[in-house]
Amino acid sequence: MSQLSPRSRALVLSTLSVALLIGGWIFVTETGIANDLFLPGPVAVGKAFVEVATEGYQGSTLLEHVGTSLYRILVAFGFAVVVGIPLGIAMGASLDAHAFFSPLVEFYRPLPPLGLYTLLVMWLGIGEESKFALLFLAALPGIVITTIQAVKSIDPVYVRAAKVLGASWRTVLWEVYLPAAGPTILAGMRISLGFTYTVLVAAEIVAATAGIGWMIWDAAKFLLSDVVIMGLIVLGLTGMALDLAMRGLGRLLMPWTR
Amino acid sequence: MKNTLLAAASAIFATALSFAPAGAQEAPEKVTVGYLNLVNAQLVTKHLGLMQKHMPDVEIEYIKVGGGGDMLRAIAADQVDFGGLGNPPTAIGVTRGLPIKGIMVLNMLDYVEAMVVRSDAGIKSFKDLAGKKLAAPFGSTTHYLLLQALTDEGVDPASMEILDLRPNDIAVAWVRGDIDAAWFWEPNLDKAVKNGGHIFMTSGIMASRGYPTWDVGVVMNEFAEKYPDYVEKFLAAECEGIDYWLGNPAETAQIIADELELDLADATRMMNGTEMVPCDKQLTAQYLGTTGDIGQFADTLVATAEFLASQKRLPKVLSREEFADFLKPGYLEKVVGE
Repeated sequence: MSQLSPRSRALVLSTLSVALLIGGWIFVTETGIANDLFLPGPVAVGKAFVEVATEGYQGSTLLEHVGTSLYRILVAFGFAVVVGIPLGIAMGASLDAHAFFSPLVEFYRPLPPLGLYTLLVMWLGIGEESKFALLFLAALPGIVITTIQAVKSIDPVYVRAAKVLGASWRTVLWEVYLPAAGPTILAGMRISLGFTYTVLVAAEIVAATAGIGWMIWDAAKFLLSDVVIMGLIVLGLTGMALDLAMRGLGRLLMPWTR
Repeated sequence: MKNTLLAAASAIFATALSFAPAGAQEAPEKVTVGYLNLVNAQLVTKHLGLMQKHMPDVEIEYIKVGGGGDMLRAIAADQVDFGGLGNPPTAIGVTRGLPIKGIMVLNMLDYVEAMVVRSDAGIKSFKDLAGKKLAAPFGSTTHYLLLQALTDEGVDPASMEILDLRPNDIAVAWVRGDIDAAWFWEPNLDKAVKNGGHIFMTSGIMASRGYPTWDVGVVMNEFAEKYPDYVEKFLAAECEGIDYWLGNPAETAQIIADELELDLADATRMMNGTEMVPCDKQLTAQYLGTTGDIGQFADTLVATAEFLASQKRLPKVLSREEFADFLKPGYLEKVVGE
């Protein structure tokens, strides 16, 4: 492999890891080591995929389930970005803002989402609001904390120099803070989106009738493990696609990080 | 989805363990009883410590399980030795080949499970449900009865919004005013009745229309093979609980009130809404039947499975013989015979 370029070497290794996983899956299901109730084989999962994609699962097709979930995630994540980045910059740039907000953020951050969810349902009801709220709360801390770190790690000389040269607060924000902190903030957003994904099933347990997380939860109740595994694979792939899109967006907005 | 992984891991372990010679009749270290959060004589058995009395040398652990879906997962993950399941989860579990056997009737469901409607929502018949928001725990006895009743009344379920909520979430949503009707069970049912609702239909009425619903006590196959004596001890304890329930209604109501933290009046009503079947009667044709001649429970399972299959919740419908094979009245026959 030494004659391969680093890029194709990476491709070979990535393909290998996926092939090993699928190979292992085929092996344990074909040889009967795994009970097919708990781990159905790739063929059964593929069949479930085709069936749900064409006929649907309990009234919605796979595309509708994915669409519903992506809508929930993107709305909640969008709100978290709009709130989290300004909050993080404020907390990173001003000691007072940091002192004021950090107890709140630090307090709720480690709370388990399901524990929070019970309260959210009582306060906001069983509709979309409580789902958005849970996903929003899951997305927020990651963005805030990395933004604080990103802003704090900016060399204060840049800020002072800009101010000495007569830059307004707005100019400092757009020309110094955001460009310098951007790449770290983007990394934080990627981690945060991943975490929001992990809360999706929990958010769709209560009174949902569509969504990929609900589909997984409902299928698990009826022991339809082929649908469960198919749903998890789809969830994983859409998560990867979103992450890729976000990296692309980052390169577009911040060409200097290329 | 940790459960699925756990289940996969435990399945691998179970396969490995099954090669070990079955130790004949030594006592298990611990017996785990998963009991459903509803009103039946298992609460009496638990409260009076009857399980401990019948197996003094064994540690007993009780795990409260919210509903049939959770119980199926607990069984699939091998986290209980004994469990309880309503007829829909039983049909699901047996069809999917879960390693369990039905050994006793826990209870027949009367008005302890009921459909409550908001009194100011103007619901006089099933047709009035069109455009309303309903809730039921999907995959449970009440979800099954709700859809069965709608079918019988010729009302399209798609004309209303039916939400999947667990009983405690239904109570929360009801008090908030998020839903107009719900079919679920005590002790949470009462919270809806007391907050502007009234009973519209009960599971008992549906039973008289030919859709009986019940909960059956199940044992894990592996446990039953290893410790058949302890299956009988378990049944002896539960039968004593049932006899106590039937013979001492006043004390039983007090026990239910204590266990579920309810008023005595509420506990009494819930108790009366559940039918307990004496163990000897469980061996008649209306219930489990006998080893050679399995009773009507098998027919209910077939009907339930057919219904679930029409809902695409089950991939196939097993035959009556296959469902009859799940029911094992043999242990109870021994206990009653003694």
